Amino acid sequence: MRDSMEPLAVEARGVIKRYDSRDVLRGVDLFVRPGHLHGLLGPNGAGKTTLMRVLLGLVGRDGGAVKLLGRAVRSTSDSLHDGVAGFVETPAFYPYLSGRRNLELLARLDAREPQVRRRLNLDLTLEQVGLADSADTLVGGYSAGMRQRLGLAAALIRSPRLLFLDEPTSSLDPAGARDMRELAQTLADDGAAVVWSSHDMAEVDELCTDLTVIDRGTVVFAGSADQLRERAPSDIHSLRTSDDGAALAIARRLSRLTALVGDDGSLELCGDLAEVDGYVIALGCAGIAVRSLTRRTRSLESLFLELTARPDSDVQAEVAVQ
Amino acid sequence: MSFLGIVAVVGVECAKLSAQIKVRLLLAACAVGPFVFAGAMRVQSSVPADTLFGRAVTESGFAIPLVVLGFGALWPFAVIASIVAGDIFAAEDRYGTWTTVLTRSRSRGEMFAGKVLTAVGFSLAAVATLAASSVVAGALVIGRQPLVDLSGLVLPPVDAFGRVALAWIAVLPPTLGFTAVAVVVSVATRSSAAGIGLPVIVGLVMQLAAFVDGPEIIRRLLLATAFAGWHGLFAQPVYYGPLLYGSAVSAIYLVACLVVAFRLLQRRDIGR
Repeated sequence: MRDSMEPLAVEARGVIKRYDSRDVLRGVDLFVRPGHLHGLLGPNGAGKTTLMRVLLGLVGRDGGAVKLLGRAVRSTSDSLHDGVAGFVETPAFYPYLSGRRNLELLARLDAREPQVRRRLNLDLTLEQVGLADSADTLVGGYSAGMRQRLGLAAALIRSPRLLFLDEPTSSLDPAGARDMRELAQTLADDGAAVVWSSHDMAEVDELCTDLTVIDRGTVVFAGSADQLRERAPSDIHSLRTSDDGAALAIARRLSRLTALVGDDGSLELCGDLAEVDGYVIALGCAGIAVRSLTRRTRSLESLFLELTARPDSDVQAEVAVQ
Repeated sequence: MSFLGIVAVVGVECAKLSAQIKVRLLLAACAVGPFVFAGAMRVQSSVPADTLFGRAVTESGFAIPLVVLGFGALWPFAVIASIVAGDIFAAEDRYGTWTTVLTRSRSRGEMFAGKVLTAVGFSLAAVATLAASSVVAGALVIGRQPLVDLSGLVLPPVDAFGRVALAWIAVLPPTLGFTAVAVVVSVATRSSAAGIGLPVIVGLVMQLAAFVDGPEIIRRLLLATAFAGWHGLFAQPVYYGPLLYGSAVSAIYLVACLVVAFRLLQRRDIGR
């Protein structure tokens, strides 16, 4: 990691993006330090990918200012600054060319190195991402995971000092995901800034030192993972009942207790122990049996869910609009 | 926008084209088609009498490239113009590769210029291949006899060859006009089918419109009319008016379509 006085790798202030009359980004700020892995978090549709597209100059912004590696990004007509690389969503390539040929052509579009050195660089990069054996296979025969690896290779041949990775492990098997994380960590250790977009809090928790959480086009948290934990130091209780739907409805009537449905279907309760006790008694009075109640240390995932929680009516309204 | 950047894009586009079967097939058809036509004319008893110079195809080899030229104006030149130009932008949408190529060191302006130059280059190369093949096929299969022009004057072989070459050069501007139409359709619709198919349909509609009685100015503004500009080269005295007018109209189509296409690409949000 580098000195915090170094210029920021990403300095985005008040980024606004509208599609037709719909606000997708509403004054988003993003600051990424060199030598750090920065998690960009948010539920699906929060605006993470749109923000990445704006930063990479693929999508025009309706407001705000962006600097990458200290240089202003003015409009979509500019070329991407040297040292900046990345991919958004699943990377795409020409299916009628091999993986190696795709990379050769992309390297030619960068064209900063002599051809011989470029070829050597390509071979090393293909090996680095685990595609050396299938480099001469047509990309049309690649799996989504292989395309994701090729996307990383395409980014790496630009020798990035700022790397944007959008859901980079979404199509990878566990071993591939581990390799991707290790590679990102190595790049950050070597001084590059890596922006890692994900909706998987556990992955980001393991990897990233800094976080920005976006929800509905607005930043709801920016800081370190530790700062996020400090926001809600209390433990969390995981609850299973005979009627989780009714139990959730009762919880929502209690102002000092937050209840959310976890990934495993259990109810996650955030609040003081006295509140939880009162809630359990209320469930008994309502004829709802408590089948299990487990106390555990609060994970970043539960904080993420709380930060991005929205009333059911909001979700329904959003679906109706779409 | 840098010259080296545009050259890099042209190199990449040419490498991609060389790997595409449709491109090889079209060039092969341009090279072989005239020989098949000339061979058929030589062995069959009838000639395409309702076509300009059709009656002369068995009397002079120089009539072969002129008949091919007249046929090409119906729809083949529009196909030649659009097969690459109509796909070169839309293919990036079809494969989802705009994001991949625009996250390199080339600007949209350089990408646009490189792709347009590649499409224009391909159109010129395909027409040149068809022209050369037609002339060679006529000379080898039929012979290098003098050609009787539209006014009944006999043109010696050297003179006939010179005018045939000029006639083929005269169809380059409208072919490039159709190339530009294909580019703008490709950019605007993001569909290869529309990019390739629409210019051909537009060409056919223009051919039909040229047959309909109407204001002369409308007929002159049709891109298809420019394909007939070479007829004046085979009259006595030679007249160049339609050729020059058609070239000017083609240039207007070329510039207007490319400006619109460029602005559309510059303003576009990639990935939306």
